[in-house]
Amino acid sequence: MDVLRLEHVSRVFGAVKAVDDLSLSLKQGEVVGFLGTNGAGKTTTIKMLLGILRPTEGTISVMGGDPADPATRLRVGYMPETAYYYPYLNARELLEFYGGLCGMDRRAVRARADVLLEQVDLAEAAERPLKTCSKGMLQRAGIAQALLADPDLLVLDEPFTGLDPLARIRFRQLLQRLREAGKSIFFSSHELGETELLCDRVAIMKKGRCFYDGPVSRLAGDGRENLERIFLDVLEKGEVAR
Amino acid sequence: MKLFLFQCRALARLSLLELWRRNDLFVLLVLALVLLVPLASAKPFGAAGAVRYMDEAALLLIWGYSLFIALGTGARAFPPEFESRTIYPLLARPVSRGALLAGKFLGACAASLSALAFFYLLFAVACGLRGTGWFPPDLLEAFVLHAAFVALAVAVSMLGSLVMTPSCNLTLSALLLGGMLFFGRRLPEYADTAGGALKALVLALYAVAPHAEFFDLRQRVVHGWGAVDAGVVLAVLAYAACYCGGLLALSRLALGKKKL
Repeated sequence: MDVLRLEHVSRVFGAVKAVDDLSLSLKQGEVVGFLGTNGAGKTTTIKMLLGILRPTEGTISVMGGDPADPATRLRVGYMPETAYYYPYLNARELLEFYGGLCGMDRRAVRARADVLLEQVDLAEAAERPLKTCSKGMLQRAGIAQALLADPDLLVLDEPFTGLDPLARIRFRQLLQRLREAGKSIFFSSHELGETELLCDRVAIMKKGRCFYDGPVSRLAGDGRENLERIFLDVLEKGEVAR
Repeated sequence: MKLFLFQCRALARLSLLELWRRNDLFVLLVLALVLLVPLASAKPFGAAGAVRYMDEAALLLIWGYSLFIALGTGARAFPPEFESRTIYPLLARPVSRGALLAGKFLGACAASLSALAFFYLLFAVACGLRGTGWFPPDLLEAFVLHAAFVALAVAVSMLGSLVMTPSCNLTLSALLLGGMLFFGRRLPEYADTAGGALKALVLALYAVAPHAEFFDLRQRVVHGWGAVDAGVVLAVLAYAACYCGGLLALSRLALGKKKL
């Protein structure tokens, strides 16, 4: 069963078609990179995956269920593009708050928070108000909250933004460990290098339409190009040159 | 149901933490200091009989403060979530919009009611020190009905925050509730003196607007007229519950239509 399946999904805002006839799928343990320029429809797609927006046309299923169903959302971890969190909370309180929303009791949240804060290297700053944290620290707090309920599917919106090189390497290692543990990961990114290192497949969007959906290995295997070349082909010509 | 309760608790706790961390408590202390001036006057202007007027002034201040705090906390429940985009990670959780609304409402009520309880406690202590009893039944009734009014005010401003700009919401909510509190009981008399369309308009407003005057027992407390019949109190509480329920249902619709 596909962890995630989008079939002919479109989303219209007034006269603007933000997402146009998008079909995608994600299998268990797979990492899919979702690429595209600003305004390509990546964030709208992610909002639909999370059940925040309804598609105008087409169907979306997450773990075989409706993404708007709270029971489905319990199995999905989401990290937003920019760390939009409550500035007056600290990282531990943020995790306790989101844990409460997931129905976790306080003792379970605290135990899980200790593990996650250690994992994302934020244990020492766990009591610092988020308003005093750097962008990289906020991103790490975001990663921790996404992993809080031990989700089967992780949806990450620009997860590498604001991370320093060391934090990037650690985050990449963390994602690789999660993939090995059978978690599925769907992330949007502008970081082609990271995408190429991490992903099994990429989907490239332009003006709401998906122009390429396929394995990274196939792209790299033709002896000619890397992901950057492919990405530029899609943006300039609207197709992958063969 | 358990998940719903956990979510409401988490959201309510967030509102209280925000109140505490944003240093709103200092505003509360300043308001309390102003309140203490009439309350501390055992013989204002050298006249022992003037104490009633001072009590009336103190209760009027408590009503003003509570309205100000309830409208502020209700109005602030949602707009910052949309402005700072914290709404997205929030809605990505297994939270239904109904649970989100209920949690925000309970949090805003808890924050406003804790301030109200603090003001009434000051008033009760002042009464106790003057030897008129520490917490007489009429004061307790006044507090209970006032608390219901605060919940109503939170629901009004929360609905307004989902359909209007913050300044417009605060102005209209304050005008509506303040107007009904002070002039609501006179609306039928005014309607009798007016004619035609104006009369119909005033009567329609009287029928639809929240009857803030139902909750106001200041005169009974000040003049020592004693407690109201429990049935009347229960009826007013039921009215508040129904009105809040209606406002929350409208808020749920507005939240569902909000652009995300």
